Amino acid sequence: MQDAVRDFIALAARIGLNFDFLTSPFEVRMWLDGMATTLVLVALTIPLSLAGGISLAAALTSDRPWLAGPARAYVELTRNTPTLVQLMFTVLVVNMLISQALGGAQNNPLGAWFWLVAVVSLHVAALHAEALRGGIEAVPATMIEAARGLGFSRLEVLRVVELPLALRTALPAIVNNLVNLVKLTTIGYAVAVNEITYASLMIWTQRDNVVELMIVLLVFFSGINLAVARLGAAVERRLAVPGFGQ
Amino acid sequence: MAGSVGAAVALWLVLDPPLARLLLEWLPYLARGFSMNILISALAMLLGTLAGVALGAMELAQARLVRAPAIAYVQVFRNAPHLVLIFATTYIFPFEIVAFGHYIPFPDWMKAVIGLAIPASAHAAEITRGALQSIPTPQWDAAKGLGFSRIEALRFIILPQCLRRALPPWMNLAASICMGTALASLVGVHELLHAATDASTAVSRTDFTVLTYVAVLFAFFLFCYPVSRLTQRLERRLAR
Repeated sequence: MQDAVRDFIALAARIGLNFDFLTSPFEVRMWLDGMATTLVLVALTIPLSLAGGISLAAALTSDRPWLAGPARAYVELTRNTPTLVQLMFTVLVVNMLISQALGGAQNNPLGAWFWLVAVVSLHVAALHAEALRGGIEAVPATMIEAARGLGFSRLEVLRVVELPLALRTALPAIVNNLVNLVKLTTIGYAVAVNEITYASLMIWTQRDNVVELMIVLLVFFSGINLAVARLGAAVERRLAVPGFGQ
Repeated sequence: MAGSVGAAVALWLVLDPPLARLLLEWLPYLARGFSMNILISALAMLLGTLAGVALGAMELAQARLVRAPAIAYVQVFRNAPHLVLIFATTYIFPFEIVAFGHYIPFPDWMKAVIGLAIPASAHAAEITRGALQSIPTPQWDAAKGLGFSRIEALRFIILPQCLRRALPPWMNLAASICMGTALASLVGVHELLHAATDASTAVSRTDFTVLTYVAVLFAFFLFCYPVSRLTQRLERRLAR
């Protein structure tokens, strides 16, 4: 392993790339931690965003105005303001108000990590909800009438008829949103969550090897997003109903 | 929604005149910050669109040597986080350019423009490619049959249809690039979010901090919401 790393550094140096930091255990540790943090963030926010998106879509298509109204307002607000501003708002304003209410920051169990996960998941949930709503509205009315005629309640129709069909229509958009989600995790940098961008910045300010780390960053994110896109395509193929649209 | 928030803030300011005066004092400063967001997003969209249309056409080229680099570029930069690209341009580009013995400063906000123009161009390329491919090929043949040359067919028959199809996704892209400008605050560009942080640090009052960040959210919302509504309307009209 040690030899392989040394060989790699020498090889990279020959084409003018400086990967010397790989010999410093401290920096390597921080760097790998950063990658792991990004992966954990992605693994955590994807299911959270999907769960949030399904609930929001259910609320959006509900015929109860007190449920549909606030959901619509939330979706519009989230989709039309930058995620970074939302994150700063929650960390600097909401978190501060919570701290004050609890009598000091030491009593506040919520930190930057919590708000990052919450903001990214909820932001992408709003995007999912819009995609799903489009899918739900595309379900033929006769199908819903038939289901209701069979004695299904409104919620049951949503669960067994509308959502499964909407999911298929919305899948391309949802995969797109998930790629967006992966990219959004980098704003954790702003609140000092040690994800890969933050870790890389810490290293390149010391070593002045921006280009080298930038290449790694681009490869790293391309890799994750390629995996997400592949997974999405596989799910799409698996769920495809022969002869039903698409 | 926006209306009720606005009403609540207005009521708050009426009930607390000193706070209102404080906000009024800082408003020009915040507005100057926001004008930077508008400038960055406009320039990034302009550059990104020009490059994107060329790249999109390249993606459909017959020669592999032209096609492959364009496809690779689009793949990499469509998947790259905006923040990473802004960091890349900020840290890699020099702070000034030497041209013919003159030192031309290369400020951070211009680097942010390029940092956002790169993903914009990758997305614009995909939009262009999609729009060009969505025009049925028989139309080319029909145009030829009517005596149009290839350039004329492109100019009078294909492009006008592409433009209509590409407009809604292009507007979506514009909204997302506009929101991306907030990221420039992280590399020290003096835009709205940065201005808000300055203001809240300088005044250091809880209620003022809350109000300032609400104002920031509101500013972005007022800028992006009309665009997204218009996009939805256009999409619906095209779907018919």
